[in-house]
Amino acid sequence: MTPTPTTDIKIDARSFSLFFGKAIALREISLPIRRNSILGIIGPSGSGKTSFLRAINRLNDLTPECHIEGVLAIDGEDIYHPHFDPVALRKRVGMVFALPIPLPLSIYENVVYGPRLGGRRPLRTELDELVENSLRAAFLWDEVKDRLHTSGLRLSGGQQQRLCLARVLAMRAEVILLDEPCSGLDPISTAKIEEALTALAARHTIVLVTNNTKQAARVADETAFFLMGELVEHGPTRQLFTVPRDTRTNDYVTGRFG
Amino acid sequence: MRIPPRQVQTLVVGMLGGATLLTLAVLVFIVVFVLDKGLPVVTWTFLAANPEDMGRAGGIFPIIVGTLLLPLLALGIALPLGVGSAVYLNEYTRETQMTRIIRFGTDCLAGIPSIIFGLFGLVFFVGILHMGWSLLSGGLTLAIMILPTIIRTSEEAIRAVPQAYREVSCSMGATRWETVRKVVLPNALPGIVTGVMLGAGRCISETAAVIFTAGTVAQMPVSAFDSVRTMAVHFYLLAREGISGENAYGTAAVLILAVLILNTVAYWTMHAFIRRKAR
Repeated sequence: MTPTPTTDIKIDARSFSLFFGKAIALREISLPIRRNSILGIIGPSGSGKTSFLRAINRLNDLTPECHIEGVLAIDGEDIYHPHFDPVALRKRVGMVFALPIPLPLSIYENVVYGPRLGGRRPLRTELDELVENSLRAAFLWDEVKDRLHTSGLRLSGGQQQRLCLARVLAMRAEVILLDEPCSGLDPISTAKIEEALTALAARHTIVLVTNNTKQAARVADETAFFLMGELVEHGPTRQLFTVPRDTRTNDYVTGRFG
Repeated sequence: MRIPPRQVQTLVVGMLGGATLLTLAVLVFIVVFVLDKGLPVVTWTFLAANPEDMGRAGGIFPIIVGTLLLPLLALGIALPLGVGSAVYLNEYTRETQMTRIIRFGTDCLAGIPSIIFGLFGLVFFVGILHMGWSLLSGGLTLAIMILPTIIRTSEEAIRAVPQAYREVSCSMGATRWETVRKVVLPNALPGIVTGVMLGAGRCISETAAVIFTAGTVAQMPVSAFDSVRTMAVHFYLLAREGISGENAYGTAAVLILAVLILNTVAYWTMHAFIRRKAR
């Protein structure tokens, strides 16, 4: 396949459609996502935001009867090519889910889960360092440094979600997908996650699905608006929120529906 | 006429509590009855000596060994097969007509009387495969007998592991097997252990199928092709043939204590494992 001419595009969807059985979830999405930036995806529920996100790490593969058309490429490589290994892909593309779901392991074990996969056995000192760095980057270190070996399930919701973020960072993922990561969190926890994301965008490509349009306005460099499985509009965040080209976008961001 | 909710509440608590109390009372009565009649016979000699005069005198040492070896062999065979099947059915296949038929089949197998398995073992392992009345024939027969129980309890335990854990593990680049090994099985462990205990209990208490396939020789086995006698069988023979009521109760007392100890150790080990996993 032809390499993408513009190298600052990390993820490139071209006429990408997604079906669950006969039902169409995404229709001909063409959306380039810039390297080391935050893309916010907004839209009402059922608009295909999450389906698109889960297409980027091929998590939709777990759903029976799911198939795609078109191209979804990362670094110019078609990730749905038959020879492309989804397990290797998911090691590069981390995901934070809507509900904080720590695995029923200690905080430490949650963070080193990814780095230990694939039969790798990193040195203890390496892991210790990785745990500290990842937890620091997720703004959680100070709160848990004295109880790394207690269960991750004992943390508060906000702390759990930051643990989930740290877990993804420890994988040294290039892309971080977030599916409404703050939907169940209080404003202070939300602020901490947003602060972490802004800092992380320097070295990661971040795709943030959010139900909260203000969150997209606060942190996203670019924003895309999905509606009923279609991409209505995509552009720099400020432009999308102030001078949207499409009236439906305007209605949505001003809160007239959705 | 309506009964006021408060009285209904009292009535229900009374009935449920009564049911629990009655069940416990029957259980305690049986255990106390057997221990009361059996324990006086149980001495160190009884535990460590060979039986003499068909069990009228002497002890039950080879029979204790047989009671340990037979279920151990059966579990050694049934556990990997059963848990393996359960993992395969839940994690590697999609729900289809075929998996539903397999499940229905295992449910039916679980309800078949043990004597039928004994008969099959007698014809197939003892006869056709020329294994004779032996530890091996008995172990294989009991393994087949408890397999459905182990598959179904393991399956329930595996299915109870939240789907979200699988998604999280998968999203971090774990293969299906890594997810099974690191997330699914550790979390399903308590349920699997319950299945194992049920299976072990059925093996230990089995008589008919054991007599048909492992024989009744009350001697220390030296190879897998030797016949063994279990405590349940020993008890049955002593009581049935009117050989020695005293020693029969002695054997029963040891059997009950052994099962108690086994269960305690199993649950204690499991909880230690869980505590270590996530404190």
